[in-house]
Amino acid sequence: MDLTYPRLLDTNNYLRQLSDTTYWLCITRTVQESKLFPMNPYMLLSYLNSFYRLPTLLREIDAATPAEELGDRAREVSLKVDTVNAAWGMPAFYLIGREMLMNWGLLRAGDAVEDVVDVLDFSRRFNLSYHRNDGHLTNKEFGERSQFLPERTLQVFESDLHGVVPGDRLHTASTKLVAQLSQYAFLAHCECRIGLHNSGPYNFGNGRQLLVRDFFDLAEGDYPWLDGIATALPHNNLTIPIVFKDTNFHLVDDWASFEAEPGYDAANIVAVGMYTSDALTDGYVPVGMDNAEKLAETMEQYREILNQATSDLWKRIASWSREQMIDAGALVYSSVAKDFAHLAGTYRQDDWLLIDERAQRFKPLLNDEYGRDGLAEMVGLLGFPHQKANEYTMARYSGLNQNMLTGIPYSVLADTDFAPTCGDRLTGSTSLPAKNGLWTTSAGRLELDDYNARAAGFTPAVLEGRNRYLDEEWVKWNHATPDADALYRLTQRGSRNLEGRGAGLLRADLPSSRPSDAAESGAPAGGPG
Amino acid sequence: MATGSQHASPKWGSTEMLPLPARYNAAVRRLAAERAERLAAEGVAWKDAVFGRELELFDVADARAIERDALDSGYRFDFSATVSLESEPDKYKRPEKAAHTFTDGDTSNGRRQVGVGDNVIRKSATVIGPVALISTVDQVMDYLTDGIPEGTIGVIDDSGGTLTAPIIEELAGVICLGGSVRSHLGILAREYDVPTLMNCRIDTLNEGDIVELEVTAAPPSAEAYDIGDTGHARIWVHEKGA
Repeated sequence: MDLTYPRLLDTNNYLRQLSDTTYWLCITRTVQESKLFPMNPYMLLSYLNSFYRLPTLLREIDAATPAEELGDRAREVSLKVDTVNAAWGMPAFYLIGREMLMNWGLLRAGDAVEDVVDVLDFSRRFNLSYHRNDGHLTNKEFGERSQFLPERTLQVFESDLHGVVPGDRLHTASTKLVAQLSQYAFLAHCECRIGLHNSGPYNFGNGRQLLVRDFFDLAEGDYPWLDGIATALPHNNLTIPIVFKDTNFHLVDDWASFEAEPGYDAANIVAVGMYTSDALTDGYVPVGMDNAEKLAETMEQYREILNQATSDLWKRIASWSREQMIDAGALVYSSVAKDFAHLAGTYRQDDWLLIDERAQRFKPLLNDEYGRDGLAEMVGLLGFPHQKANEYTMARYSGLNQNMLTGIPYSVLADTDFAPTCGDRLTGSTSLPAKNGLWTTSAGRLELDDYNARAAGFTPAVLEGRNRYLDEEWVKWNHATPDADALYRLTQRGSRNLEGRGAGLLRADLPSSRPSDAAESGAPAGGPG
Repeated sequence: MATGSQHASPKWGSTEMLPLPARYNAAVRRLAAERAERLAAEGVAWKDAVFGRELELFDVADARAIERDALDSGYRFDFSATVSLESEPDKYKRPEKAAHTFTDGDTSNGRRQVGVGDNVIRKSATVIGPVALISTVDQVMDYLTDGIPEGTIGVIDDSGGTLTAPIIEELAGVICLGGSVRSHLGILAREYDVPTLMNCRIDTLNEGDIVELEVTAAPPSAEAYDIGDTGHARIWVHEKGA
């Protein structure tokens, strides 16, 4: 690696932004706790696991599919490499692991400099590409907002979502399914929130806003504890776009959580839909979207499946040992970037679902109290001795002379006594049963080799060749051209109301805005307009 | 440059504020510094030791020794997950019966105020029902097997969403003794539309007590937890025979 002064300046700038944002998130969000899972111990273990394994895994992925191309993929549909997992969690967990080792005197600030630079460079390129449409690096930078989807996708949502009113079958089915999905996602992810994702809001006109709600890793796939669970569910990921009236989502943060004014109230939901997407889908695939009755029926069916899955999984987890719970939770956290490997077609179970031997040695320290207080000390109090800065310093949010994450000293450009990388020897183990099941994908339930081969050879049509660079600035000036029509028609494939309509549409032109078309499409009055 | 040449203590540094991190982290730092000095004396540069000989700086036996030292001194850890207490009972403090965190409130109309909390979803009427005190995996398993009596209000000392995952929808209401309206249990209560008070401070409640939750109260404002403006929803117990 060519370690240069400008590169280090960039790296430290990004690191400090992550440090400030993560501190703000940690002190303004809720304390994470669970009577079922030893959450804080597993979180600490996950950070160490990330530190030792992530640089090597990202380098392989980056060589197969560069980070900015992965950002392109994540910008087109809902993928688990999203705001909370990839954009924030991946670099933050890695850097927090670095802080732990530094605090223990087992690492100095210049050590692993090439790893830090590579991880943050990957992360920055991904984030810039993922957020290309809103032009920001993070939700925090955008003022707690996330608008990564292009107009052509949002027009399909606006045209095809089904209108609802409180008490009708679809309204009830959708609110119950979202509740069930939320609960199941917390459980499948060992109490942490990274199976849930919210993005937006998007302005849907007339005082309405769209919030896109995603739920990931619902069926047999990477997590071995989901083998045999929810096998009747045909999708691993579900996206439920929801349109609200009279509700302002004033915060959608880098943990993909939201806050609204007035508060989130299902009575204000006016339209819903359901889609799936993964590493093999060419855009969002509608699920049960033919008509409102069909969608309600599908949602009710999925809710039944997930209700049973919750019960089945809960019983399985309730029988786990403490170490199994800690391993599972740590692996959920330290594998937040695993879907990059699925997109690149380089996924291996042992890369992402093992605890590195170098992290295993710290397990005897990780009792519940040390987990709780060690985490509080590191990310809340910023009480590690090395987290202090000089006495004149006033940090961004606290005003105190302390920072959560430690910069790389520029002395690495002049000195030599540091180890540039933690190395690429990945050995590890887990107390959990081995995975034996298949991978649930949009192409069916696949063996892993088949899944990787399909993913490695796949590029969505909207990203093929020149299409990749046809962004909204280009559309602004070229909307009347055949190329723009062709691009929009790719996204409109499978749309109930917009198939083939092309690039020239504005909100007033959408079929759902005209009462006669709305009647023809079966959209109830009060639906999206 | 030799392994131990960097100053071990950072300028401007202090020590950890919380007792166990302070104890453990200092012990690891001490061991790591000693080992680094030893390797330096052998002529091993830090850059070769930090990853190349990392197990000589700290290994699993060192971690076990630090834990043993704490336990031998009589220290016992707070537990958070019940599995920790159940699997390693000698390492953890036994749970103490929670001290009363709410002093008796007013009694009127056959009901006595026994607590306050933060309302998650504003409803048009209060919720009344018998309480069930839920804090263990075994209890949840029993409810899964036998079902939950209709109208039950769960008193849950865990603001996480997983312990009570299979049964939350069946509850008529929830009194959660921790967390905030943003906690996972608060999120799920909102999604399931289960009347719920989070962050509750209550007087003693017994299994089967009939309680009333003031879920008609306004939820906390966005900055409520920053400024301490919480605890506006009341909890009453209905006096027997009233």
